[in-house]
Amino acid sequence: MEMLTLSHVSKRFGENQVLRDVSFSVPEHTIFGFVGKNGAGKTTAMKLILGLLSSDGGTILVGGQPVRYGNTATNRMIGYLPDVPEFYSYMTSSEYLTFCGEITGMEKKKTQERREELLNLVGLNGNRRIRGFSRGMKQRLGIAQALLHMPRLLICDEPTSALDPAGRKELLDILAAAREKTTVLFSTHILSDVERICDEAAVLHDGRIVLQGTLSQMKKMRRTAVELEMEEMQDAALLLAEFPFLQAQGRNGLILKQADRLPELLSFMGERKLSVLRIEHQESALEDLFLEVMGE
Amino acid sequence: MRAFLKKEWMEAVRTGRLWILLLVFALFGIMNPAIAKLTPWMLELMGEQLAGTGIRVGEITVDAITFWTQFYKNMPMALIIFVLFGSGSFTVEYQRGTLIPVVTKGLSRRKVAAAKMIMLAGMWTALYAICAGITYGYNVYFWDNGTASSWAFGVFCFWLFGLWVIGWLVLFSTVVGSSTQVLLGTGAVVTGAYVLGLIPVCKKLLPAKLMGGLSLLQGMEKPGDFFGSILTTCLTILLCVLAALIFFDRKKL
Amino acid sequence: MPELKDILPFLIPLAVLQFALLSLTIRHILTHKTYKRGSRGLWLVVAIVGMEFIGPILYFLLGKEEG
Repeated sequence: MEMLTLSHVSKRFGENQVLRDVSFSVPEHTIFGFVGKNGAGKTTAMKLILGLLSSDGGTILVGGQPVRYGNTATNRMIGYLPDVPEFYSYMTSSEYLTFCGEITGMEKKKTQERREELLNLVGLNGNRRIRGFSRGMKQRLGIAQALLHMPRLLICDEPTSALDPAGRKELLDILAAAREKTTVLFSTHILSDVERICDEAAVLHDGRIVLQGTLSQMKKMRRTAVELEMEEMQDAALLLAEFPFLQAQGRNGLILKQADRLPELLSFMGERKLSVLRIEHQESALEDLFLEVMGE
Repeated sequence: MRAFLKKEWMEAVRTGRLWILLLVFALFGIMNPAIAKLTPWMLELMGEQLAGTGIRVGEITVDAITFWTQFYKNMPMALIIFVLFGSGSFTVEYQRGTLIPVVTKGLSRRKVAAAKMIMLAGMWTALYAICAGITYGYNVYFWDNGTASSWAFGVFCFWLFGLWVIGWLVLFSTVVGSSTQVLLGTGAVVTGAYVLGLIPVCKKLLPAKLMGGLSLLQGMEKPGDFFGSILTTCLTILLCVLAALIFFDRKKL
Repeated sequence: MPELKDILPFLIPLAVLQFALLSLTIRHILTHKTYKRGSRGLWLVVAIVGMEFIGPILYFLLGKEEG
C-alpha cells in the first residue's frame, strides 16, 4: 500500500515556480530518500505534505486521506523533524517529550516508557533545559519527538545536516531501524546517505522529479567501465589505434567505457597475443548518476 | 487541549511573566489607595510652598470615592502592561517556529488558539481580581465601603473592557506576524473606539464607556446606563474569538 | 505629615513587593547570559534605576530572550 502519494503537485512563490508537476509515491515500510540541491524545493514539498503550505495544484494523499492546508487531520499519522527544529526552551527534553505524548493522546505509562527509550536512543540527558542545547542536540531531540508517538509516516527534513560524522551514522541507523514500524521520507543533499539506507529515492531538480525508482533499479542504470592494464606500452598504443573509443590512462593503462565491447577487445588481444596484466570491472558510484541527472 | 494549557502555564511561570505581572498588579492594588491616602498630605506640603505665590489649595476630603478614583485612573496602565506582555503569546511562537512540531503532530489548531485565549483571559481575570481585591481590602480597612455603593458593578465593567481589549489582541495575533503589529492593531482599535466615543450618540454603546465605572460611584449614572455598551462589548468579544479561530486555521506558521 | 499608623499598612507591603520584583528581575538578569538587546550592565542599571516597576517591566519586555 502507498503511505504517501503526490500527484501533479505544483507550488509557486510569486514569480518563482518552486515545484512543477511533482508526482511520486512512497510505499509503506520503505525508506524513501528525497534528493536535491539546497533550494531545489525539498522543504516546500514536505511543508505541502504537512499542510503547512497550500499547493497551487495537484493532490497529496497521506495514508489514503487527502491533505488540506491548515488544520489537517492527516498530521495525526505523521512525525515530523523540521530542518531547523525549535522547541520550548524553558522545558527540559524529558518534559518536552511528555508534552508531545500528551498532545498526541498517548497513555501516560506508554509515554514514560517511550520517552526513556528514545532519550537513550538519541543520547540526551532528560533533565537539561532545551535553552542550552546546541543545534546537533536539538536535532537529536527532534528525532525523538518525531518518533515518540510511533507515527505511520516519518518525515525528516535534512536530518543529518547539523550532525558530525559519528552523529550522522547514528541517525542513519535510527532511521534504518525505524523501517520496521514506520515509513520514512527524508530529504538530503548528502548523496551517500541515500546509498547507505534508502530503498527508494527521487531526485528533485529545479522543481521537477528528474529520477525516481528503487535503489536497485538505479544501480542498474549506472554506467560501468572496464579498466585494462597492458604489460607493454606499445601494446597499449596498438589497442588505442585499433579501438578509438578507448581512453588512455597512465603509461600502459586503458579505460573502456562501453563494457559491452569487451569481448571484441579480448578476441583482438588473443589474435595478436598481447599480454595483459589486469582487467578490472569498475562500478561508478550512485553519486555520479545523481549528479548526472542534476545536470552536473 | 489540557496539555497545551499546561504548557502555557509552564511558560508563564518559567519565563517569569506570571510573577512579574502578579507583583505589578499587586503593587497597583496597593498604590491605588496609597496615593489616595497620601494626596491630601502632599497637597498640604505643596500648599505650604505655594502659599507665598498666592495659590490656595482647598481642603480635600479623602473618602472611599477617592480610592476608586485612583483605581480607575491606574487600571488602564495595568491593562496596557498586561497587553504588552500578552502581545507575544502567539507571535513569538510564529517567529521561533515552536508551533510547527505541535500542529504537525495533529493537535488541532483550534485547540491551540483556544488554550491561548483561555490562558490570557484567565490571567487577566485572576490578576485583576487580585488588584481590585487589594484596593477593596484597604477600602474596608480605612473606610466603610458603604460610601462607595455599587463598586462591584463598576469593577466588573472594567474587567469586561479588559477582555474586550484582549479579544482584539488575540484577533490581531492570528492575522499579523509580529508583536509590534499586534500592539499597533490593538492600540488603533482602542483609540478608534475612544474617538468614536466623542460623538454623544455612539458613546452609550461603545465598550470604552466601561472604563468609566467612576461615574457610577459618584451617582451620576446608574448600572442600567451601561447595558448598551455591555451588549456591544460582549458581541464584539464573541466575534473576535470566532474570527480568530477561523484565521488561525489558515495562518502560516 | 499623616500619622505613621496610617502609612505603615501601605509602606510595608509596597516595600516588600518592590523588593521582590527587583530581586526577581536581578536574578533573571544574572542567570541569563544573552539578551534580546542590551547588555547585562545596562539591564542591571535599568532595573535598579526604575525599580518601582518600570525598570523590571522594561527588562522583561525588551531585554529578556524569547522562548
